[in-house]
Amino acid sequence: MKNTSLTNGNRRQFMKAGMATSAALLSSSALAQETVLEPSRGPGRTVMEMGYYGERSEYVKDARLKGNRGTGLIGGSLTPLQHGHGIVTPSGLHFEVHHSGVPDIDPSEHKLLIHGMVDDAKIFTMEDLLRFPSVNRFHFLECAGNGMGEWMAPRGQTVQQTHGLTSCSQWTGVPLKIVLNELGVKTDAKWILAEGDDGARMTRSIPMWKAMDDAILAYAQNGEFLRPEQGFPLRLLLPGFEGNMNVKWLRRLEIGDKPWWTHHEDTEYADPRPNDKIRAFSFYMEGRSVITSPSAGMKLNGPGFYEISGLAWSGAGTVKKVDISTDSGKTWQQANLEAPVLPKSHTRFKMPWTWDGKETNIMSRSTDDTGYVQPTYEEMYKLQGPIGMMHNNAIQNWHIAQDGEITNVRL
Amino acid sequence: MSAYKTMKIITLTTVTFGVAFGGLYASAQEKFGFGRSVDKDEIARYDSDIHTDGTGLPEGSGNVALGREIFEYQCALCHGENLEGVPEMGARTLHDGRRDIKKLPYATSLFDFVRRAMPLTDPGTLSNDEAYGLVAFLLVETGVIDDPDLTLDAKSLAAIKMPNRKNFIIDPASRFTAEDLEDK
Repeated sequence: MKNTSLTNGNRRQFMKAGMATSAALLSSSALAQETVLEPSRGPGRTVMEMGYYGERSEYVKDARLKGNRGTGLIGGSLTPLQHGHGIVTPSGLHFEVHHSGVPDIDPSEHKLLIHGMVDDAKIFTMEDLLRFPSVNRFHFLECAGNGMGEWMAPRGQTVQQTHGLTSCSQWTGVPLKIVLNELGVKTDAKWILAEGDDGARMTRSIPMWKAMDDAILAYAQNGEFLRPEQGFPLRLLLPGFEGNMNVKWLRRLEIGDKPWWTHHEDTEYADPRPNDKIRAFSFYMEGRSVITSPSAGMKLNGPGFYEISGLAWSGAGTVKKVDISTDSGKTWQQANLEAPVLPKSHTRFKMPWTWDGKETNIMSRSTDDTGYVQPTYEEMYKLQGPIGMMHNNAIQNWHIAQDGEITNVRL
Repeated sequence: MSAYKTMKIITLTTVTFGVAFGGLYASAQEKFGFGRSVDKDEIARYDSDIHTDGTGLPEGSGNVALGREIFEYQCALCHGENLEGVPEMGARTLHDGRRDIKKLPYATSLFDFVRRAMPLTDPGTLSNDEAYGLVAFLLVETGVIDDPDLTLDAKSLAAIKMPNRKNFIIDPASRFTAEDLEDK
């Protein structure tokens, strides 16, 4: 009765060892040895001692890595991808980027105004929005600056530092097109200004075609209401589009026929190109993949079997295949894509691998269902010069030294 | 009677769903009816953005001298006395790189951002005159406009053509072209 399955397991192991020794003892002693049981842990914490909102084990320490400068109001944190399993990022480990801190919003007072080129401008309360038919969708969210620091040379010491500005959740909300249908959008409307309710009222211009495709007014993430740092009580979710456009703490949508060229789309999230050109309105986060385990900062414990595991995603569609090289890019093998493989979602890939104990490099390369193949750094440099910083989706190489030490090295 | 009523509701819902999911820009006849209609006055309390043609620019005006004074008191701590940026405060230079004011495509966006989001620790507190003055100061200080006595208001700010606008290229994947985005 008092045995848990864990102590049963221990007992079996103990007995197995006991049997081996008793066989050896038979010749020296005819006396039967009585098996001594591992002492029970005794009763644990009662349900009343457990939290009303469950907490993880004290032995699990995975945490976001924070970074900011000056006032701290503009800053962010990175997801520990190296310890992730499956495709969902726990909400408490989802990356964040803020441009004026995290506001504290009472959902009973929050309103969304939609106006501009519509027949009937309207204000919606959260109660109104929750009454509409809803959808649940798994989608990754990635900051356009994910891997920005890696452009010129490898700098990150872990995959959290090189790729930690991507996360994946199941999002719940109302399709934006259903809400827009309430207002009667004018036929020549082409753009929407989305405005957040943070101190700086962050704004971005959103194309109408995206709103009418798969945009969601999201109020929940991974089965519960949004976290404050993810836009509680309401955020825009534009599957596959750069993180910054997924405006948090959404308070206003203005329908128009031109983009607004807001600060965040003409400076911070515009992409420098050769010959003084600047690329604007680069919405898509293109196909990308990275091996999360084994990855930089880890150490292989001698030659033998390892499961290579990683994440692939594409803002333009669904991951079709991931190729892995374990010999510094000379040969490639196709990894297994683990179900579910969903559009604009993290996809988990795996491949069994036996390390021979020799120095090598491992890397992954994704292809999505539009045929887009993840580029190398050389290919990206050729395309846009070494000056680009946003939308870095180049192939990531991990170097494995003879002692098993893994580091971030460019080939 | 009650059975008929139920049937009618089901039919209505089916129509609404069909239109809502299938319809694109066309406004449907059947709607859920959630949300509250608002008039112009109520919208005006929320609507502070500035369009590239100047729509939304408020009353008021400000000159370089006013802008310089505001900059020294409220901006220089982070942005540096000569707009060079103070890295420890998280501010990059406004003369070069990704925050280069000369490279902005529209002066309207500069006004919009300054009035809405600055100063970082106290956003939304600048008066319209102060915001006009700051934009005037920034455009003169970065060499976009050569006029130390520049005064800006809604009309003059909307008329500014930023020299770098032509260097912006539009990602074709956005499904827009540069011509789509020009103000006519």
